[in-house]
Amino acid sequence: MSEAATATAQLSARGLTRHYTTRVPGRFLHSKRVVRAVDDVSLDLFEGHVTAVVGESGSGKSVLARMLARIVTPTSGELILEGATVPVRSRRTLDYAAKVQLVLQDPYASINPVHRIRHSLERPLLIHGAKKDDVETLASAALSRVSLDPPERFLDRYPHELSGGQLQRVSIARALCVKPDVLLADEPISMLDVSVRLGILNLLRGLCDDEHLAILYITHDIASARYIADETIVMYAGQVVERSRGTALVDEPTHPYTQLLISSVPDPSDPTSQDPNRTAHATFAVADVGCRFAPRCPFAMDVCRKDDPPDFMVGEGHSSHCWLHASEPEAAVEVAPPRRRREGEPTTT
Amino acid sequence: MSADTFDIQAVSPPNARHAVHGLREDDVAAGVGGNEFVLEVNDFSVDYGVGANMVRAVNDVSLNLRRSKVLGVAGESGSGKSTLVYAMTRLLRAPGVISGGNVTLTFADREDEKAFTTLNLVTATEKELRKIRWTHVSVVLQSALSALDPVLRVGREFDEVLKTHRPDMTKAQRRQRAAELLTMVGLDDDRLSRFPHEISGGQRQRIMIALALALNPDLVIMDEPTTALDVVTQREIIGELSDLRSRFGFAMIFITHDLSLLVELADEIVVMYAGEIVEHAGAGELYEAPRHPYTLGLLNSFPPLHGPRRELTGIPGSPPDLSDLPAGCNFYPRCPFKMSRCEHEAPTLTAIDGSDRSVACWLHSPDSPVPVPVELSRTAHPTRDPVTSSEERP
Repeated sequence: MSEAATATAQLSARGLTRHYTTRVPGRFLHSKRVVRAVDDVSLDLFEGHVTAVVGESGSGKSVLARMLARIVTPTSGELILEGATVPVRSRRTLDYAAKVQLVLQDPYASINPVHRIRHSLERPLLIHGAKKDDVETLASAALSRVSLDPPERFLDRYPHELSGGQLQRVSIARALCVKPDVLLADEPISMLDVSVRLGILNLLRGLCDDEHLAILYITHDIASARYIADETIVMYAGQVVERSRGTALVDEPTHPYTQLLISSVPDPSDPTSQDPNRTAHATFAVADVGCRFAPRCPFAMDVCRKDDPPDFMVGEGHSSHCWLHASEPEAAVEVAPPRRRREGEPTTT
Repeated sequence: MSADTFDIQAVSPPNARHAVHGLREDDVAAGVGGNEFVLEVNDFSVDYGVGANMVRAVNDVSLNLRRSKVLGVAGESGSGKSTLVYAMTRLLRAPGVISGGNVTLTFADREDEKAFTTLNLVTATEKELRKIRWTHVSVVLQSALSALDPVLRVGREFDEVLKTHRPDMTKAQRRQRAAELLTMVGLDDDRLSRFPHEISGGQRQRIMIALALALNPDLVIMDEPTTALDVVTQREIIGELSDLRSRFGFAMIFITHDLSLLVELADEIVVMYAGEIVEHAGAGELYEAPRHPYTLGLLNSFPPLHGPRRELTGIPGSPPDLSDLPAGCNFYPRCPFKMSRCEHEAPTLTAIDGSDRSVACWLHSPDSPVPVPVELSRTAHPTRDPVTSSEERP
C-alpha cells in the first residue's frame, strides 16, 4: 500500500464489519448464532484505479458493496469519504449518494420496466437538483458516455426493447449522471452474454482511465478481475484472505483459497487445471475458531485450527492471510508453490 | 414396460415410418446398423408464432449425437440453443411450433440390452413420449430452485419419479434408491428430508442431476446447469458429471454460453448464431483452430488467466434481433472479415475439405475472393500441446 501514502483515497473503509444474528431452532430453546458476513475489511478506492473484490457466493462481497454504498449499516467500522469520516450510523445523505453510486448485477431487475429509459435517467438528476430544462441534455450526455449512440434513439425506448448489454450500459449511465467520484459495480457482467461482457469491462476501464473514477469491481470470475483491476482483493467468508496490486495475485497466488478459485476457472489451455491433489475441498465450510478456510484447506496445520492468521506480506503490496507464510520456525512448513507461475512473465503490469 | 405395445417399431427391419417422414437413405442405413447414434436431428426448424409475426428461432438444424458422447451447444441468448432442445424433446409450448424436420431417438430396450428401438419424436404421440421421458431422455434445467417444488421435501421428488416409472418398486426400495442416487452425486442422504430452500444452490443442482439419472437414461440434456452457480461449484459439478458419465455411459447434450467450459467437457461442439449452426467441430479443433469469425470472437471474449495483460475487443455490436435479420449472413453486421458477398447471400453449413468439421462462412468457400484470414486458418495440433498453442495465439 505504498501508493496510499502519496494519494488520498476517494473512499476508504476501515475495519468494516457486518454481523447478522440468526435464530437456530433447538428442541426446547432457540439459540442464536452470529453470521459474520463481513469481518474487519479495510480497503481504499483511489481515483483512476479499479479495485476488484473476488469471492464465491456467500463470501460477503455484495454486503461489502452495500455497506460502501450505505444501503446496509455496518455493525462496526468506519467509512472515510475524501478524507472526512462519514457518520455510518445515521441515514445516507443525498450528498453521499451523489459521490458514491452502485451498479447492480441484474439490469433487467434494476431498471423500472414500466417507464421509458428517459425516466430512469432523469429521475436521479431531478432528485439531485438539476434544472428541469437541462435534464434531457444531461441524460443524453450520460448515454453517450456509455457509448449508447445516438442517445435520442434510446431515451424513449422501454427496457424490454433493449438487450441485456445495452440495459447494463443504461444502468451505468444512470449511476454516472449524478457525477459520482466512486462507482461500485456489483457483478456487473455475470448476467450478460459472453460476447458483450468485454464491452462492459472495457467501458469501466475507460471510465476509470479517462474520467478518473474510482471503481470497485465485484466478481466471482478471477480472470475478469485480472483483466481490469489495479488491485485485487480475495474474500472468503467475510474476510480478506489475499490482496495484491497488479496481476501478482493471479500469477502467483499464495493463499490456498485463491489457488482454488483460479483452478476452478475453465481453462482449456492448461491441462493441469484439474489436478485433484492441489485443489481444496469445494464445499463451502467456515470454521468458527482459527482460520476460516481451514476445513477446506489441503494444507491445514494445527495452528490453523487454533488461531486466525494475521496478514503476512509475501511481496510488494501483496499480502496473504495464511499461516503458510509465517516466518516463525514452527509454522514454516513448505509453502504451497504457486501453480501458474511461468518463466519470464511480468508479475505486474 | 414392453415397448411394442406403444407402437414404437423395432429398428430392424427398416419400417415405413422412416419413409413417410422423409429420412434420407443413408440415415436409415445408419439406423439399421442399430445403435451408433442415440439422437439424429434432420433439417429441424422451430418457429414462434404463425403468420406475419412469425419468428424463426431454429432454422434448418441437423446434427447427430453418438452413444455415450457429449455434444456441446454454444451460443448467446436468443441464438435458439434452448429452443432447439426443448423442441427436440417436445417440451416446447405454444407459441413455439415445430415447422419442419425429424428427430429420431434410438434407445436400448430395458429388458434386452441388445435390442434397440427408434422413435421419431416429432410425430410421437403423448403416450409414446411419456414412455421415453425420464426413462430414456431426461432434462436438467438451469434454475434448480424453480425446477424443484418448493413445498415438497426432496425425497418426495425422487419418490414420485420412481413411483410413476417403476410401479413395481416398494416404498422401502424407492427410499433406498433415492439415498443411493444422492450418494452418487456426493450428497448426504439426510438431504431427502429437506425442503429446497434449506439447501444451497450447488446442492440443489446436484439433486437435479441425481433426479435426471434416476432411471438410467440414454440421453441427458443439460440446459445451462451451472450458469447460476459460481466458478468453484461449477468446477465441482462438471467434475462430478464427467465422472458419472464414465460410470453410466449416458450421452449428453450440454447447453451453455461458456465456450471454454464446453471445450473441457464436450467431445463435439456446435456453435449457434441466430437460430442456425455456424460451426460444428471436435472440441479441441474448435478451440485451437476456429473457422467461423463468430467462434473466434467468442473464444477471444474470455480474459486469459496468464500472459501479459492487453486489451481484448470481444465481438462488437449486439446480438441479432430474430424478427429483423440481415438479408445475407446473419453475422454480417458484427463480422470483422465481411465481404460484399456476405451482405446479400447467406452461407450454408458446408463441410470443410478433408475434415469432418463444417462451417457456414463464405471465407471458406473455394471461390472466396480473399484468402482465409490467418486467425481462421490455424491448424489444430494432432498431439495437443496446450501451452505452446496458447502462446501461438495472436
